Amino acid sequence: MTALVPTLGRRLAPHALPLAMFAIVVAFAISEPAFLKPDNLIGIVRQVAITGIMAVGMTFVIMTGGIDLSVGPVLALSGVIAWFSLDAGAPLLVGIAAGLSVGLVVGVLNGLIIARIELPPIIVTLAMLSMVRGAALIIGGPDLHQIRGQEAYAAIGSGNFLGLPISVHLFALVTLLMIFVQKATPLGLLVAAIGENERAARLSGHRTRLTKTALYAICGVGAAIAGIVQSSQVHTASATYGEFGTELDVIASVVLGGTSLMGGNGSIARTILGVMFLGIMNNGMNILNVPIDIQLIAKGAIIALSLALSEAKG
Amino acid sequence: MTARSATFALLAFFAATFAFFCVAAPRFATASNMENLMSGFSFVAILAIGQSFPILLRGIDLSVGAIVALAGMIVFDLELIFHLPGPVILVAALAAATLAGALNGWMVVRLKLQPFIATLATLAAYRGLVYSISGRQLVPGLSTTPIRNPWITGLETYFDLGTTLGLSDWVTLPWFPLGFFVMLAVLAAFHFLLGSTRFGRSLYTVGGNPEAARLAGIDTGRVTLAAYAMSGFCAGLAALLLVARLTTATEALGTGMEMSAIAAAVIGGVSLAGGIGSVIGPVIGAFLLGTILIGLTLLGISQYVQQILTGAILLAAVGYDRILVVRRRRRLEANLAEETRA
Amino acid sequence: MTTPLIEGRGLGRIYGTLTALADADFRVMPGEVRGLVGSNGAGKSTLIKILTGAVAPTSGTVSVMGEEVRLGDPSEMIRRGVACIYQHSNLAPAMSVMDNVYLGRQPTGRFGRVNRTRLEADTRALMARHGMEIDPLATVGNLPTVKQKEVEILKALALDARVLLMDEPTGWLSAADVTRLHRTIRTLKASGVGIVYISHMLDEIFAVCDTLTVMRDGRVIAERDIAETTRPKLVELMVGEKLARDSAAAAHEARRPRGTGEVRLAVDGLGKTGVFRDVSFDLHAGEILCVTGLIGSKRTELMRVIFGADRADAGSVEVDGRAVAFRSPGEAMAAGIGFVPEDRHRDGLMLGLSMTDNLIMSTIPRVCRSVFLDRTKVAATAKRLVSDLAIQPPDTDKAARLFSGGNQQKILVGKWLNLGPKILILDEPTVGVDVGAKAEIYAILRAQRDAGAAILVVSSDLEEVVTVADRIAVMVSGRMVAIHDADAIDRTRLIEEIGGAA
Repeated sequence: MTALVPTLGRRLAPHALPLAMFAIVVAFAISEPAFLKPDNLIGIVRQVAITGIMAVGMTFVIMTGGIDLSVGPVLALSGVIAWFSLDAGAPLLVGIAAGLSVGLVVGVLNGLIIARIELPPIIVTLAMLSMVRGAALIIGGPDLHQIRGQEAYAAIGSGNFLGLPISVHLFALVTLLMIFVQKATPLGLLVAAIGENERAARLSGHRTRLTKTALYAICGVGAAIAGIVQSSQVHTASATYGEFGTELDVIASVVLGGTSLMGGNGSIARTILGVMFLGIMNNGMNILNVPIDIQLIAKGAIIALSLALSEAKG
Repeated sequence: MTARSATFALLAFFAATFAFFCVAAPRFATASNMENLMSGFSFVAILAIGQSFPILLRGIDLSVGAIVALAGMIVFDLELIFHLPGPVILVAALAAATLAGALNGWMVVRLKLQPFIATLATLAAYRGLVYSISGRQLVPGLSTTPIRNPWITGLETYFDLGTTLGLSDWVTLPWFPLGFFVMLAVLAAFHFLLGSTRFGRSLYTVGGNPEAARLAGIDTGRVTLAAYAMSGFCAGLAALLLVARLTTATEALGTGMEMSAIAAAVIGGVSLAGGIGSVIGPVIGAFLLGTILIGLTLLGISQYVQQILTGAILLAAVGYDRILVVRRRRRLEANLAEETRA
Repeated sequence: MTTPLIEGRGLGRIYGTLTALADADFRVMPGEVRGLVGSNGAGKSTLIKILTGAVAPTSGTVSVMGEEVRLGDPSEMIRRGVACIYQHSNLAPAMSVMDNVYLGRQPTGRFGRVNRTRLEADTRALMARHGMEIDPLATVGNLPTVKQKEVEILKALALDARVLLMDEPTGWLSAADVTRLHRTIRTLKASGVGIVYISHMLDEIFAVCDTLTVMRDGRVIAERDIAETTRPKLVELMVGEKLARDSAAAAHEARRPRGTGEVRLAVDGLGKTGVFRDVSFDLHAGEILCVTGLIGSKRTELMRVIFGADRADAGSVEVDGRAVAFRSPGEAMAAGIGFVPEDRHRDGLMLGLSMTDNLIMSTIPRVCRSVFLDRTKVAATAKRLVSDLAIQPPDTDKAARLFSGGNQQKILVGKWLNLGPKILILDEPTVGVDVGAKAEIYAILRAQRDAGAAILVVSSDLEEVVTVADRIAVMVSGRMVAIHDADAIDRTRLIEEIGGAA
């Protein structure tokens, strides 16, 4: 009997997250039937799209044992730069490209410092968080910038296509693309290899530093895409968006999805599970009018609990 | 030896920066500005001292900002709602903060959670706890009532050491805030603990070579638990100083402070690789940050540029740490080479 | 009969599917120096770890002075006077010598303050008692490795150990230091301490031990009095009769020094400051050149430079007559060089990934269609390698972690064979590999040689060297001191050269 409990735990651990998710969906559905309405479910996906896009971008970075704390300010700066470009009369695609290039530049910088100079990712990206925020504030000031007369841009965050919000399409597109990269390209295999054993990957002839730099660039671009979605969703750009805590939500989603902060195994698909889990928690608790304090405590407890559980399998 | 020389290098850099602003920034070298620096960064220094313990063990404590808020709110409630005696309030707040830290340690040791994740979870949970016990929500009328208990406000006392020592005829010395002395006391106590006790030696060993520590029969779990508890204790102490200064506590107290604390500790030479560092470094690191931020403000440089510079300083500090590590490795290789030839 | 100082009964330890130790009995009497021998992976380290409490056995009991002890608890074993000097350093490098010697047990005064004066005095007294001389205040990380070893010994002595376990204590020591260490061991023995001495150096075993325990494949297979055994008998016990026979047979088999005569790899005056210098040799197509020497003679470092993982700062390397200077392993691979590293867990395998992923890790471009992985090609490649190398079990989706040491090694070799290398470097290719897999790996190497590959094997295992080598090169302290045709040198002479007697 005593042996049964750990065995059961080991059996269940890999499925802990889906099971927990199912349980809370049932719980929310029973206590508030409105939860299951299609509108609400689509609403959840729309709400998590921004965090979700960032989490998808960050998954590879975390799989290699790294981390990126700078995504919040990158989100802000990307929106601000896109707004500036559009405001100056640039065409839509140029504006978007300008916004995305912010993520690319910051990501490459992070990657170069981490992979080449071998400084600890947590500190490098913490420093970058401060620097990018400063840069965003210098460029954009502390004010909100209204995005006017840019229907096409606004459609990214607020438009609908085939009955679903365009931001949801975008989230799905980014996710599918990255799942494809993970499953079907050498890069996906290489990410897993570096996460498992970076020395061995290098001795197998792979350019591990270049790869790691590329992963931080992907993460940066993910944050920049999120920035564009966010600014078009609320029709404003501001240097203060992506406030402190954004990056922690993103990291929590990835880690809940089963990617270890020490690197190694991880999967984009499971990251989506983590994103949805947090999204459903937030949405359900809002619908049930759970006060913010209980929400925060529950969130912390659930992160700790589910991770402690998945640790039990090892 | 290397740790000591690194501290000297940091001290020299601090002195140079300080001297630079004395010359370059108007009103920097004034008594009132020094008071600002001391009262504004003593609690950052205390947080940085606390943060060095988890970092010495290759961990991190992201929850210190939330613990600051928690301890602050406990002071608020016990004083304004329950009207408890001052000493009881102080002890209760410190005990709660230490307990919160110990819980972090427990999660790291028992649940085997990575410190980053454990303290990320409690960062949310403790902040939530603050909202749920917030006297501002429970008794809305109190939110504008300042804290007047002398046991607490007394922490925001200034000492005119210049006059006491009879030096004020010669120079205008700043009035020293009590918080500064509290910080010095914490520094002395933890410096003693780390440098001169068996516990301190054990802590360095667990951080530097956990397997060696385990094989030497050191209870690594207890050491780890204690390290996080001390980080919590320091956060509690910082909260007391902050509340004394503001004469109130808010739910948002301490937000983002973990970043300053981590930055100060790393700038102060506490290596993220574990086992290397002191508590003096983080204190210098905190005041170096303070000097630069205040100095730049006085120079009229925008707060935004300061953020960029803060990041750059942090990068420079880890870069410097990295250079030291590489040098140490080279020297070790050179040693080996000598043996090879011998 | 006196009570044994330490006695293990029926000890076993299983890691996943790997049985590291099975049903081992082991005992040490007061004043006895017991040699523990066996090839790599025979289970010696596991046994030692159980006796120190570093790992708990999955079966069996341990008694100290007749009293059964709690297993898997290092502090329990320390309290009972069982100390160990490990193969790898267990010092805290940033701390002083005296802090390390009394780690976790420093004498304290008021407020728990460490009494540094007494600590220093104690350390000096201890060193005086055992004829050692190190500055107690020096930082351990700054000491030469030899001195660090002494600190480790001091650390054990400081515990007033009654049982002292020494796991390869002489790996880094010079001959003079070894002699000194043996003198210390005899002093300890005279005072009734029981000592377990693990070493690959049979000379040392015969010089210092009274009794012997021989292990193979995780089992204790023999116990002998040192007086009643001889070196050849011991070797036969260690490697098994079959292998001993095979190796004898292989010695008669036609060796092919210089293979086809075509020079594949020419190394001339290669040097890396402070590591190795002035290394020159030629490697021919169709031959196996074994580079042997003591641990720490810088053979691995040399191979890493040839493979582009590290950079040389003197000399030149030519592949097929063309001068090369690889800046990364990728460039060396492009030139047709493969490298099977020594530590397969640290440098070779991605343990958490599937066998398939590991097998294609060095040849990803070959299993791609444009920029995508071609799963059909991937599966076909894996299947072919699994059947070529007879990897067991042939489950290609299973994580590399779950295979036995021998099969893990075959996966690693297969990963490089798939590259079809012109030059294959293998660093200690059979460490921790069972006897059967060893023979299979040798067969693979010979097949590759016969197909025209040039093979460079680093090995400390003399049995292995005489079994597979066409030519034998000897490295001593970062220099290549001799190269022989394998048939032209006998083992005694080889052992002398390895020891630096050339």
